[in-house]
Amino acid sequence: MDTPNPDNRGEFFDQFLDDYYAECDEHLVSIRRSLVTLEDEVDTRTVDRALLDNLFRSFHTLKGISGMVGLGAAEQVAHHLESYLRELREGTAVLSDTGFQALGSAVSLLENVINARRNDQPIPAIEEIVERLQAVSADSAVAELTTESAPQNSDDATVTSWQIEFTPTAELAERGINVNSVRSRLQKIGQLTQAKPVVKGAGEIAFEFIVTTSADKNALSSLEADGLTFKPVAVDPTPRTKEVPAVPIIAPASVVRVDLDRLDDLMRIVGDLVISRTRLEEQLTELKRSTPPAAWRSLQETSLSMGRQLRDLRESVMRVRMVQIGEIFERMNFVVRDLARESGKRVIVQLSGGETEIDKFLVERMMGPLMHLVRNAVSHGLETAAEREAQGKRSEGLLSLSAMTAGEKIVIKIADDGRGIDRRLVLERANARGLSNGNSELDDEALLTLLCTPGFSTRDEADRESGRGVGMDVVKKATEELGGRISLATKVSEGTTFTIELPLTLAIAEALIVSVNGQRFAVPQSAVTEVLEVESSATKVLENNEIISYRGRVLPLIRLARVFEMNHQRGDNFHVLVTGDETNAVGLAVDRILGQREIVVRAIKDPLAQSKGIAGATELGDQRVVLILDISALRQLAVTSKH
Amino acid sequence: MSDDLKMNNVLVVDDSPTMRRMVITSLGSLRKVKSTQAGSGLEAIERLAIEPVDLMVLDLNMPDMHGMEVIGFVRSHHAYRNIPIVVLTTKGEETSRTEALAAGANRYLTKPFDPRQLADVVGSLLHAS
Repeated sequence: MDTPNPDNRGEFFDQFLDDYYAECDEHLVSIRRSLVTLEDEVDTRTVDRALLDNLFRSFHTLKGISGMVGLGAAEQVAHHLESYLRELREGTAVLSDTGFQALGSAVSLLENVINARRNDQPIPAIEEIVERLQAVSADSAVAELTTESAPQNSDDATVTSWQIEFTPTAELAERGINVNSVRSRLQKIGQLTQAKPVVKGAGEIAFEFIVTTSADKNALSSLEADGLTFKPVAVDPTPRTKEVPAVPIIAPASVVRVDLDRLDDLMRIVGDLVISRTRLEEQLTELKRSTPPAAWRSLQETSLSMGRQLRDLRESVMRVRMVQIGEIFERMNFVVRDLARESGKRVIVQLSGGETEIDKFLVERMMGPLMHLVRNAVSHGLETAAEREAQGKRSEGLLSLSAMTAGEKIVIKIADDGRGIDRRLVLERANARGLSNGNSELDDEALLTLLCTPGFSTRDEADRESGRGVGMDVVKKATEELGGRISLATKVSEGTTFTIELPLTLAIAEALIVSVNGQRFAVPQSAVTEVLEVESSATKVLENNEIISYRGRVLPLIRLARVFEMNHQRGDNFHVLVTGDETNAVGLAVDRILGQREIVVRAIKDPLAQSKGIAGATELGDQRVVLILDISALRQLAVTSKH
Repeated sequence: MSDDLKMNNVLVVDDSPTMRRMVITSLGSLRKVKSTQAGSGLEAIERLAIEPVDLMVLDLNMPDMHGMEVIGFVRSHHAYRNIPIVVLTTKGEETSRTEALAAGANRYLTKPFDPRQLADVVGSLLHAS
């Protein structure tokens, strides 16, 4: 197939690239979901017709829009996928295991081609996959393919078929009552077997639906209010054509697509507003003495209610940026199946909390790292069926992906019930590479630190599945750059769990404003578990480290003044911000806590101004810039500077 | 029927939102033309019921009502019989040009399409009616 792309046509279509990528993503998600279902139907000769129709249409659309933006490789792969699906649909080919694998590989390739174009990378070669698709399309069907019809509710004796008539008008459309909304309402009531337009006597258009349901008349009567009429009808008990369910990728009329950049703009404006309000609050404080109390109080009340409204606004904007994590889980599910097949392992994937929402920006940044953990779990964590059986385990390995929100954080867990990480092996390896600090015991955190050291890998060469340029060091770095935390729990022959905690959103955070040597810093509140007031005399020095006793344990202190090389005058009392869990707590010593604020996080982009221990900057009401501390980097400093 | 003040309403029917935007933007160069869109055959027919439509740009392979069925419906009803229909379908579609034209399509164009050619075709059909 040729791809016409002469003159300025390419330029014209370039303006639609963002729409193109967004639509491709939607189709790829829906394709993957269909493939997972389709896999169970391999070689069964009963294939769900609606599933094939949806797949066919997705490939068809991808082919069309790829051709428009001049991405010939994607157009061709989609074309061959579409052709194969047509053969399957028409029953001239049977879905064999080879065929399903070719389908899976071709979909991955299609995604890679689209991503390569998106990231300005060389477009991967497509010839091999195209040949594979052509080969499986030629697998002629020996027996006829039976198309599964929709499950009937016929075992229920009280099933009735209703004919519903809907006459669209501009007024109804304005109220959101249209052919799509009526149809989805009917699909909730029962099984829709027909949806067709008709012209009535006076020439007006109406739609006739037939829905089969065990629900009684009352379930339908709510429709009457919206001008729908209904009556029971006698229909052929086995309708030959099944109503194809509404394709989920078609955005309903009430959904709009918004460019992420525009949302970022919106978030930035909200951020500016937050700063202005902080300024207003400070000016109010200054005015307090010179203003009559009654007048000042009413001003203050207005300011406070504005603060609440601003918070609502911020939350609403944030909510717009949220996407369900389930979409990512589906993609992983797909990758796991591929990997399991290649490595001959049997894997059951358990998903939970897919409806948990996460900031779109975080998702995009965490995609690679999460994928790496999942690949690791399948290729290294889980054993083969034979190994598992020998240990008395169930032959299928269990991989569970879960997500949940906890306060201002989202917690993602990737757990396998495989062989666990062998600490002895990791330690030997670390010693061989000179990475060990002489410890003979490794707790989970020390183990993770070793695994995440650049250049450390327990395999001699990165194998294909888990390679792909992302190592554990990158996983850890990406998590921490986003203000998150990764932890590990592993037990030999029981399995490994990675837990990633991420902030719900990045742009605005609650922070403690502290002062050190007269300079102010902001500390993200999510990183602080407790604030202590300490007398200088209560500190002790142990191996060149300052410590205090805290809840019956030793709490090492980091003096911010020392980290940032300030000439510090110590007072009698100071404050300590406790960070980390009970087991690995570290205290940050500061002079004073000035207050608690909502801050707008701005990244420091100038490399000259970037510094270890600083995550970004924010502006408080008085227009002075305050640096935001990077707690995980500071903790790292504390660990590495035990001199 | 086009007097000088009247805007022509072009109904763009395609299940791909990206494709609809491409078509609508391509038609942007035409004077006195506004566009409405529909994402399926049923939606397209609903649009006909709600507002006057002067021309349809119609994809063929769509969920729940194939473009050919839309053509059949439009051509068999007196009130809509004369609406010009431009079929805009992806190359390799099973329905041939001959079938679509026989069913009542006025023109048959394939995707990838040339925006200028599409605008010319739409412009001349609107002018003729």
